[in-house]
Amino acid sequence: MRARAVWGSVLAAFGVLAIGWGVGTAGSPTMAPTLPGSAGVSGSGASGSTGSNGTAGGGSTAGAAAAQASDGSYTGAAESTPFGTVQVSVTVSGGRLSDVTALHLTDRGGQSVRISNRAAPILRQEVLAAQSAHVSMVGGATYTSEGYLASVQSALDAAGWR
Amino acid sequence: MRAHWPTMGTVASVHSVEPVPDAVLAAVRGALAETDSRFSLYRQDSELSRIARGELALEDAGIAVRDAYAEALAWRQRTDGAFTAHRPDGVVDLSGLVKATAMHDSAMLLDASGVSTWTLGVGGDLVRASGPHPAALGIVDPDARTRLFTAVRLGDHRRALATSGSAERGEHIWTRTDLPRSPFAQVSVAADDIVTADVLATAIVAGGQPMLELACDRWDIDVLAVGREGELHATPGMRAAIAAAAA
Repeated sequence: MRARAVWGSVLAAFGVLAIGWGVGTAGSPTMAPTLPGSAGVSGSGASGSTGSNGTAGGGSTAGAAAAQASDGSYTGAAESTPFGTVQVSVTVSGGRLSDVTALHLTDRGGQSVRISNRAAPILRQEVLAAQSAHVSMVGGATYTSEGYLASVQSALDAAGWR
Repeated sequence: MRAHWPTMGTVASVHSVEPVPDAVLAAVRGALAETDSRFSLYRQDSELSRIARGELALEDAGIAVRDAYAEALAWRQRTDGAFTAHRPDGVVDLSGLVKATAMHDSAMLLDASGVSTWTLGVGGDLVRASGPHPAALGIVDPDARTRLFTAVRLGDHRRALATSGSAERGEHIWTRTDLPRSPFAQVSVAADDIVTADVLATAIVAGGQPMLELACDRWDIDVLAVGREGELHATPGMRAAIAAAAA
């Protein structure tokens, strides 16, 4: 079962590569938005910049892209990975791949969001303000049974907290 | 109900507002005990101890050991080597990964019981039922484990909260010798599954700032990292979870 998950991620990775390759060579036909939920995000293929070859956006002019990819942004099919659904958006400029952006579908809102998950500094008082919360269980790097005996979790257990 | 018992050199706890059937609790105990007997290096008769002594070749070990080793290698690759399946002396040590895997298997048993409010803790790592819970989860103070440091109200899908530290049980995390000492005293990672949370918490402590950034970019996780000087870093999701617990 685990081996299958690993293979799943390998296949997903190849899937992403294949999308990139498809854009780099043949262009847009496979790049039409595939998820209804993702239509709002760089969905229609043509996002903006007029490139050097002057073709306006790819999604709507797919038929013309036989030999060279039309300029524009394209969103690939969503790939399921063990870490969530991943989707890639590429930008073609002057017939070349100029940018690749990872989009992440949260599965739950059904909405694509650009990954922006930086761990930024946070004030101590913000963290300490939550100390008074009612907790059901406590996490910590208390790996040993000795550590457990000295931990707040053992106190909760001993108190029969429900 | 609340139950706790010693296993895997640590203590497991199950808490639930609704009662968990005895048969399900017994199955959870069994799943953790089997992992303990197969993988624990402190048990002389475990398969891993026999491998460590050179009595058993890794390729002759049972399928469970070989699968766990393969998965540990996959995680090593995904984390650019920050997570590793070997101690500095070369002994294969899968205890970090298999504990999380056993918790994942136990979570499936508890899910199947139909009880909707359970939380399982093993050695400070937590996994719980999906969906709303009446109480927040706590995180222990890295400087004093009898004190609560903070609490988090995670999203309904964030089932897992794993915490790794560089203070207690130093041998739990094998820091690569070519990397500087970890800048983090404690790292908590919330994820949708306990294996991802546990592996990445370990990897971030071992791999420092570059691994923290890599993990936040590559995985759908929330992180609270406590630096050695007490400085704090949190992802937007973790910050929101802390604020929700404080409200």
